[in-house]
Amino acid sequence: MCRPLPRDLYRPQVGGIRVQLTLMRSCCDVLCHQGRKGEKEVDSHYCPSCLENMPSAEAKLKKNRCANCFDCPCCMHTLSTRATNIPAPLPDDPTKTAMKKAYYLACGFCRWTSRDVGMADKSVASGGWQEPENPYTQRINKLIEYYQHLAHRERQERDRQKLARRRQCMPLAFSQHTIHVVEKYGLGTRLQRQRTGAPISSLAGLSLQQGEEKKEIFIEPAQALDEVEPLPEDFYTRPISLPEVTTLRQRLLQPDFQPADVSQLHPRHKHLLIKRSLRCRKCEHNLIKPEFNPTSIKFKIHMVAMSYIPEVRIMSIPNLRLMKESQVLLTLTNPVENITHITLSACEEEDPDDINSTAKVIVPSKELILAGKDAAAEYDELAEPQDFQDDPDVVAFRKSNKIGFFLKVIPQKEDDGDVTIALKIRHDFRNLAAPLKSSEEAGDGAVDVIWLMHHVELRLGPLAS
Amino acid sequence: CHHGACHSEKEVLYYIKPGQIIYSPRTVVHPKARIIAEAGPIVIGEGNLIEEQAVIINSYPENITPESEVEPKTMTIGVNNVFEVGCVSQALKIGDNNVIESKADVGRNVILTSGCIIGAFCQVNTFEVIPENTVIYGSGCMRRIQTERPQPQTLQLDFLMKILPNYHHLKKTVKAGHTTS
Repeated sequence: MCRPLPRDLYRPQVGGIRVQLTLMRSCCDVLCHQGRKGEKEVDSHYCPSCLENMPSAEAKLKKNRCANCFDCPCCMHTLSTRATNIPAPLPDDPTKTAMKKAYYLACGFCRWTSRDVGMADKSVASGGWQEPENPYTQRINKLIEYYQHLAHRERQERDRQKLARRRQCMPLAFSQHTIHVVEKYGLGTRLQRQRTGAPISSLAGLSLQQGEEKKEIFIEPAQALDEVEPLPEDFYTRPISLPEVTTLRQRLLQPDFQPADVSQLHPRHKHLLIKRSLRCRKCEHNLIKPEFNPTSIKFKIHMVAMSYIPEVRIMSIPNLRLMKESQVLLTLTNPVENITHITLSACEEEDPDDINSTAKVIVPSKELILAGKDAAAEYDELAEPQDFQDDPDVVAFRKSNKIGFFLKVIPQKEDDGDVTIALKIRHDFRNLAAPLKSSEEAGDGAVDVIWLMHHVELRLGPLAS
Repeated sequence: CHHGACHSEKEVLYYIKPGQIIYSPRTVVHPKARIIAEAGPIVIGEGNLIEEQAVIINSYPENITPESEVEPKTMTIGVNNVFEVGCVSQALKIGDNNVIESKADVGRNVILTSGCIIGAFCQVNTFEVIPENTVIYGSGCMRRIQTERPQPQTLQLDFLMKILPNYHHLKKTVKAGHTTS
């Protein structure tokens, strides 16, 4: 039984493979596929400079910023802490001075230091640096609280109406199906985009008891002022000193203050980066899941098409002439450890996947057999090479898990572009990822064998002139 | 303690007339640095650090052929400058406490005052005097003024003056090329 997969799954090109890193999965013997149909989720947060891992709740609390590391406000590089020795009077004896260490932040790239903005040197190496407070924090927090309260009430109303329609005599149930419902003002569930600046109270579950519904939050409306501060008199005549004016990028990286003057640029804590995991939308299984450790580049789950589907590469292309048959040498590599059987077939006339091909293709009629990938083969000199009885017209060479085979190509169109051919590859796939069947069927020791068919497009380059 | 400039045999110094190169004490020139006085003499001040593969060249301006008569201009380099690895400097006047970082390229018509830092791989080919304490950094050669000058690399200079003779052969210092101070 073959299931055709979407056409962009697997598309080699001239000069090498460019396989889209798509994911193939078998779950309940249905094949899910395609990175585009997967859903990307935030997996873990980490700081790129100190490589500290943080759970998402803590990250949200710290507004997605690292506690230890700072960014240069001038060039956005990571700031490093430097120490100097300054003479300071001893606490016991004011007349004597001793050398004390003082720490300041400095950027190695643009040579900005914390002394440029007037930040005093600290006596501790880390933890002494504070970000300036936003003067409007209180007002913003109050507004956020008010709107969250409003949103919560609206949600309750909605739930009440839903339940009333269902006519069930259940007590008021707060709907917890918040994964897919778009929330107003971002009340923050685990799969929603995190809103920065949210006060700590929003992390607690917003489940008001029934009695608390009556609690109202009042906010003062914003007041418009009639009088605005006038511009300074020499605003239009004073020459601008460019090194003192901040660039737009520097300014907007600090949206709280947006300083126009370079002397107001304070360093900010470094932004955290995320690791993403990919999940299939149809069957909700994880396709790619990285490790939590920020220093590790490996994956816990790594279902990539390249490790299961045989790889087609172009090895040599002769001169292609219009309407003349030429032989192209392709190689097929088997990424799995068991023997794979591959059948090639040309695309049919009205194939909907076949858009780009400009040449006719004559495929070998026999089935091609690929040996399994054996990691120890190069060390094992006594191993007998398996005898596959290849047809020398079809198979050019065979080397462990790779074969080279010939394909006849007849270019049909006289285009300026590349000659493109399309074919279908059908191979057997053993579904090792699915849970093993129950013990009655384990007697034959078989794993499910599924036959997959892929549409392959190859760009062979221009016609020989 | 060393007096006099310290340079080794492996270094290539050209004494092409009319140029000659005048060193001062406490300047360290690494092996593989190239100081070429083609169109005029070069005067190097004290306490400079010229690192590997740095090129300091007093060359003819581009549109003048070597045959035509051009008055030789002296290139002056002040004190406590650092020419990092692989930089190219053609600036005729360099003041004090400047740092030309790795692979930077400073053109002939630039005048560095003092405390300037030309960042790594920045190419400065303008016709200008760079004000004091300017930092040029980044791929777009952004500029800013810093409040402190770069510190003179005395520790590094002392270290190198002790270590380099252990690993390279030293030429005897040539009296004619030295100023005494």
